[in-house]
Amino acid sequence: MTSPSASDLRPTAPRAGAVGRLGRPLLIGVGGGVFVLWAVATLTFVLVRLIPGDPAQAVLGGPGSQASAEALAAARAEYGLDQPILVQYLMQLGRIATLDFGTSYSLRTEVAPLLLSQLGGTLLLAVLALALAWVVALALALASTRGGRVGASLGSALEVVAAGLPQFWLATVLILVFSLGLGWFPPISVPGPIGLVLPVVTLALPLAGFLGQTIRESLLDALEAPFVLSARARGEGERGIRLRHAIRHAAVPGVALSGWAFGYLISGAVVVETIFARPGLGRTLLNAVTVRDVPVVIGVVMITALAYIVVTVVSDAATRLLDPRSAA
Amino acid sequence: MPLSSKPRTRARAIPLAFVATATATALLLTGCTGGSTAPSASGTPTAGGTLTYASGDGEPTCLDPHVGGNYPQALLGGQFLESLVSRDSSGEIIPWLASSWEVTDDGLSYTFTLRDGVSFTDGTPLDAEAVKANVAHVQDPDTGSSTGYLALQKVANVEALDATTVRFDLSAPDSALLESLSQPWVAIESPAGLERGIEANCEGPIGTGPFTVSEWIKQDRVILTRNDAYVSPPADAGHEGAAYLDEIVWRFIPDSASRYAALQAGEVDVIDNAQPDTIVAATEQSGLAELDAPRPGSVNRLELNSDKAPFDDERVREAFIRAADVNDGIQSLFFGTAQRSYSPLSSVETTAYSDESLFGTDLDEANSLLDAAGWTQRDSEGYRTKDGQRLSLQFPVSTNQSIPAEQSLFEQIQATVKDAGFEVVLQPLDLSSWYGALGANEYDVVSAPYTKVGPDVLRILYDSSGITPAPSGYFANHAQVNRPELDAILSQASATSDADERADLYKQAQKIVLEGYYILPLYDQQNHFLYRDRVQGLRAMPTVSTPTFYDVSLSE
Amino acid sequence: MTDLSFRAAEQQAPVVDEQRADDRASGRGAGSRRRFRIGAGEALAGAYLIAAVVAAVAPGLLSPVDPLAISPSQAFSPPSLADPAVTLLGTDESGRSILSRIIHGAGPSLLIGASATAIGLLLGAALGLFAGLSGRVVDFAVNRLLEVLFALPGLLLALFLIVIVGPGVVTTTLAVGLSTAPGYARIIRGQVLAIRRSGYIEAATVLGVSPVRRLIRHMLPNTAGPLLALGTLGLGQAIVWASALSYLGLGAVPPSPEWGAMLAAGRIYLTTAWWMSVMPGLAIVLTAMSATALGRGVQRRVRAL
Repeated sequence: MTSPSASDLRPTAPRAGAVGRLGRPLLIGVGGGVFVLWAVATLTFVLVRLIPGDPAQAVLGGPGSQASAEALAAARAEYGLDQPILVQYLMQLGRIATLDFGTSYSLRTEVAPLLLSQLGGTLLLAVLALALAWVVALALALASTRGGRVGASLGSALEVVAAGLPQFWLATVLILVFSLGLGWFPPISVPGPIGLVLPVVTLALPLAGFLGQTIRESLLDALEAPFVLSARARGEGERGIRLRHAIRHAAVPGVALSGWAFGYLISGAVVVETIFARPGLGRTLLNAVTVRDVPVVIGVVMITALAYIVVTVVSDAATRLLDPRSAA
Repeated sequence: MPLSSKPRTRARAIPLAFVATATATALLLTGCTGGSTAPSASGTPTAGGTLTYASGDGEPTCLDPHVGGNYPQALLGGQFLESLVSRDSSGEIIPWLASSWEVTDDGLSYTFTLRDGVSFTDGTPLDAEAVKANVAHVQDPDTGSSTGYLALQKVANVEALDATTVRFDLSAPDSALLESLSQPWVAIESPAGLERGIEANCEGPIGTGPFTVSEWIKQDRVILTRNDAYVSPPADAGHEGAAYLDEIVWRFIPDSASRYAALQAGEVDVIDNAQPDTIVAATEQSGLAELDAPRPGSVNRLELNSDKAPFDDERVREAFIRAADVNDGIQSLFFGTAQRSYSPLSSVETTAYSDESLFGTDLDEANSLLDAAGWTQRDSEGYRTKDGQRLSLQFPVSTNQSIPAEQSLFEQIQATVKDAGFEVVLQPLDLSSWYGALGANEYDVVSAPYTKVGPDVLRILYDSSGITPAPSGYFANHAQVNRPELDAILSQASATSDADERADLYKQAQKIVLEGYYILPLYDQQNHFLYRDRVQGLRAMPTVSTPTFYDVSLSE
Repeated sequence: MTDLSFRAAEQQAPVVDEQRADDRASGRGAGSRRRFRIGAGEALAGAYLIAAVVAAVAPGLLSPVDPLAISPSQAFSPPSLADPAVTLLGTDESGRSILSRIIHGAGPSLLIGASATAIGLLLGAALGLFAGLSGRVVDFAVNRLLEVLFALPGLLLALFLIVIVGPGVVTTTLAVGLSTAPGYARIIRGQVLAIRRSGYIEAATVLGVSPVRRLIRHMLPNTAGPLLALGTLGLGQAIVWASALSYLGLGAVPPSPEWGAMLAAGRIYLTTAWWMSVMPGLAIVLTAMSATALGRGVQRRVRAL
């Protein structure tokens, strides 16, 4: 069995050249991101062509569409549906590259400005939920690793329960307890931070369960790692060791999970925005799916992919700062 | 027994002057001052304040009810748009934007005199040309009107005789024209507003109503502000002049549990689409009250597709209806908030005809009918078969249009008809797939209620012309009733101007629909509103049962 | 070349000291004999899962009551011992036995969970192995493919697929499976790379040991842990995501007693009949917990081999 040397496992402090070290990977990250966007655009193009029936009809609401002949003709012209498939494909790529997702038949508006106006609310929700999930997961992991095996099992059980809570159900329970029972928070979105509390908690708790599982594993590893032993030998307090060394070590895989967590939060936003009546991408998507508003659905998919790429490039950079080994 | 003869205690059926009293005694038992007398009698209700309304219906994609024309648009549009006429709680057509009207003896020409001194909120005066422009807008194919278009189908020409006189010339007599014109889907909008084009007009139609659209934040809320210059309440309104409320915040809260929680927590003042269990809970809770306003037009019913096997055989349709046991389910699932119906028409309609005797549950009768129809074999799962085919029924359910209690009721129907050997395949579908299934004739049972003022809805739902899809792909005769004698009766009813004769013809039409076992009536289209008791003077319009906030004031 | 995520995770993949893993597995060095003892928790978890599988295969054995039999007069009965087969866990809005529905629902629910997890694991393992064992070009390509899958989160993908092929359990299962695949793939790829870097493969070749055997021998203990943790969580997750689609009105077909659909349907009665959603919710959570507990047990023993 191979074992990395002690120095391999020790996260070193960010060096002075940290920012410079990020330059090249960042460039590559952006390049990779463009590739992914292209692939997602291609995938959506192919999948939409798989919708049975007239593609013009598909753009205007699918099988139940009540589109007029004029509207169908306009859609054919707008998307070049009478052109060869390759031309259609290139047209679509060109439009997406210029952030032109076409017109929503159901909302009677340009898709891109609509989605951009909905993006902020969803991102705010996702970022806050991610932050809260981290706090909860770390607290849970730290608390439970103190209790040895029993503590770890208990912590793990809590996390599995949290991860298994369906958000739509959790949201209703939170509303019953904190809105109707205690009267602390409003049950629907209202302006101001107080309206964000329940939606954020709903999104964060199950995610904290997932993160907690990952963090505990690496925290246990870290607490038994040689660098922690040597820190103990130097007489550092257990609290200091946990906060200074172990958490940073343990956070690395969790930070790397950010891209995945972001996807999880976007999925969750569909449910949470519906329950708490918050405007946002998720609710827009659900409405669009219900009426088969294909341009909006494609727009949400592309915007989510774009946001995902930004998040991963950033978290990649954060990982490098936390754990210089990954720059090797 | 016809439902219409039952004593009614519902608020919607009572003229406004009595509403506050009735509401106060029946619902607001918890000592609220000011509610014990009618607003008109207790001096001026407090003006001012913001009311928050939470709708469970989908957010309209266009605020102009001419475009498309669905119920959410009517709910919102009713606050800022007004129609030529209205209907009072006894079913009589009453003046609104038109102060009077005359009909020629042949029923082919209606002359309306418009109310004096009414302006749209953009300053454009309400005149005959404006009415003409509105009819043209609804009839313009580019507008994409479906509900309003059907309502004005027989209007061939509109003539502005002078500034306040306008004549409608019809292609055929239409006894339902005034009822049709009372609907929010043909409300009168500012011609200057219409000229802005569909996109702009959708964002904020300009009307003559007590409120105006001041802001629409998509996917979130619509802000309605008081029209201080308002002068044109309908004849049955509770006061004159401007509305009391400063502002209405119209929110969209799709989740029923959140919506009710928001009402309980005081975040919103009025909610629609209240769920049966919460209606019961709310009436037991102090501070909350209910407004029950069944929609006009058709009842909620199952339509049996008589176009294809197995329901092309009347015996099989009757067997299904005899086997379906729904009364216990309605009682337990709706907690007594919904009354079983035995009529094709809503109990709101005075012309509704009921025949309970056709709908008694009788499993033995169902079995012998099926035996007679040749469905004699049973397969291993207990379903009947004929020539190797299982007696299987496709039932697409639109999850956007059926509340959970209703979907549970469908499951109970599925379970009870199984005893007779029917297999019901429930398919929960989103709206688009559901329309797709109907358009492709891939259904045997479907539930698709239709809201319209007056019994003319029978023509839309059961005339054989309703089987052929319109160019838009939509068709309303889902039971695919194709009976020449019924078509003839419905045409006659449209043509007659005599009220009694008309009522009798519609009764005959309903008998044909009921006795042909084309539908299984369930209950009125449920339309329950819950509100906080600081909301005073709330009533539903007797036209399409949308709540109106013109007379509403806040008591705090 | 850089990956957009998971990079750190795979590079510091837990290629841990054998002794340390062993110690942790056996309760911090408290004696290696405890290694194979079955704890009470594991026994309970095993019993629950066995019961669930029996229920899935032969529900009639455990439940004498028809899960579809309605009885409106008995609707919303709280859990009681009055008529245990019907009312032990309460009844739903149509008076159906929730106990019986949970038992009969085990089949469809576990099928959704297991199929989605299987799709994710198989696809993930294939892609991960392929990427890890091939050259840089293939690795790069596969990684971009994984990015694409990551960029389409579960529910989003499910909704997108619904637009293409319409709603249904198959759509849901496929979407959940596809969206979990990249996670599995990343872990496996990371392990393969770590082992390749370690020089063991070369050494094994020199020593005449099959490189594939070597690979499996070294990969299994380290990959099994994270994979099992993800997979066992994934089992519950798939059911939970499917229930989210039921909540959105795009899920299982009624009256099929699928746990997620029951949970979604019971939610609106939370204040009046809490058991309608809590009982199927418990079934889901207990499944996930039991699977996780067993997964950890297996992981411990594999590490100790």
